[in-house]
Amino acid sequence: MKKKIWKYLSLLRVGVLEEMQFRLGAAVRLFGNIIYLIIIYFLWKAIFDSSPTEVVNGMTFTDTMIYLVLASALFSTMEMYVTWQMGRSVQSGNIVMDLLRPMGYTTYNLFVFSGNTLVSVFVNLIPTMIIVYLITSGGFALSWNLLFFMAAVFMGTILNFFINFFVGIICFYTESIWGINIMKEVVVMLLSGASIPLAFFPETLQRIVYYLPFQAIYNTPLTLLIDNHLSTTERLSMLGIQLFWLVIVGAVSQVFLRVSMKRITVNGG
Amino acid sequence: MNQTLKKRGLRFYASIYFKIIAQDFKSKMSYRADFIISTLGMIMTNISGFIAFYIMFQNFETINGWNYYEMLFLYGFSLIALTPMQCLFDNNWNLRYKVYEGDFIKYCFRPINIFFYFISEVFDVKGLGQLLMGSLTLAYAWNKLSLPFTVGTAVLLVLALITGSLFMIAIMNLAAATCFWIINSGYVMVTMFKFTEYAKYPVTIYQGIFRVLFTFVIPIAFVAYYPSYIFLRSGVPILTCMSPLFGIFFFWVSYKVWMLGASKYAGTGN
Repeated sequence: MKKKIWKYLSLLRVGVLEEMQFRLGAAVRLFGNIIYLIIIYFLWKAIFDSSPTEVVNGMTFTDTMIYLVLASALFSTMEMYVTWQMGRSVQSGNIVMDLLRPMGYTTYNLFVFSGNTLVSVFVNLIPTMIIVYLITSGGFALSWNLLFFMAAVFMGTILNFFINFFVGIICFYTESIWGINIMKEVVVMLLSGASIPLAFFPETLQRIVYYLPFQAIYNTPLTLLIDNHLSTTERLSMLGIQLFWLVIVGAVSQVFLRVSMKRITVNGG
Repeated sequence: MNQTLKKRGLRFYASIYFKIIAQDFKSKMSYRADFIISTLGMIMTNISGFIAFYIMFQNFETINGWNYYEMLFLYGFSLIALTPMQCLFDNNWNLRYKVYEGDFIKYCFRPINIFFYFISEVFDVKGLGQLLMGSLTLAYAWNKLSLPFTVGTAVLLVLALITGSLFMIAIMNLAAATCFWIINSGYVMVTMFKFTEYAKYPVTIYQGIFRVLFTFVIPIAFVAYYPSYIFLRSGVPILTCMSPLFGIFFFWVSYKVWMLGASKYAGTGN
């Protein structure tokens, strides 16, 4: 048992080291994120200034900004290149090596990519949260909500991994990486509430979105962090829904992987 | 080098262009599934953009004094202005791979302009979907705003669209050219491309230094806002009148920087 845990931890370490290697890339990304946030700030400021009321759909300008800034930090923290990697390894034939490892293909990828995310949590998510907290002088509470938030980020990361993993298996069949990826990105971006808060969606669309797994990635952690009016039961049920999707998407992707393994053809290798 | 360029006329380059593009089409047709899925992905990107836009205007009637149809005008305009970059200059996205892997050297050994040869290699058909959606949006907004449509406005529109495209192409040329100097230039391209998505909003939403930044440093204000101002408001700002000249100048600068990077590569390569 102890040996097994050590095995997984060393994979996590690989992911961490891999991510630390690209420091210049991180700097460029940070710069890009800052300018992106400036754009978002001015855009929403202009929007709220043009509105006759200060509160729109229950959100003030400050609420919206807190939501969007944290959403963007969460998005870049959880961003995984699982789909790209899987697509590319099937095209190059390297997937044969991955499958020969004395460990499940899913487990291997899950731990390496979680290592990447772990680094991002410390260099990206936590600093952003501190800055947001200081600028808004207490835009979110420092209480039990942080614990719920952490749990939700943890599960959101794994859910995000499984969604990416599922889409990655589709790449085994299509040999189209860019097209599949862009479709996934567009759908997740819009329906998870990462680009526009879900509160702004028209009612019907909102209802549909809440029945889909994507909102559990970013919207659940963010709501748990920001919304003070939730009861503990509501919070637990939100985590429950997240867990539900995690299990469903995880199981479906495993079945899909098993079926696909019998059918794929690998070029070269 | 310049001497030989001048001797060869436009016709020579046009005939070469079509020969190179034909090869690209042949190779693309062998990956038909990829082509169809990529096109679908592109269409979905545009549709989700529209949904996001629609959701915003469900909640707010105007943005900074610009109403729904005026914003739709800017949106359609920016989509069309993006198309030439998407269709004709798509190979810029492959530049960094070619440079790092050393394949770029092949372009240095041809007796034609390097930039021209490199860019000619790919024609991205997916971009045409964007052109279609942009045109429909623009036509719809044009109609709803009951703008006059005469020969004069048509000529102006074409001129304005070319201007916007030149800025768009130049921004991405510069972003791609960074790969001659830095590793990880992929992030630069992705970041710049992300900014151009915000070209559809009026630059007046930015204040102070940031308006200067998005007008003169990362000139996304010239992709849609300044060129289309002439159709939407009376009283034309000086930057609108100057925009075609700026566009040509900026494109020229981006071309020179790109070529400088290429010559540096040719110098150090083996």
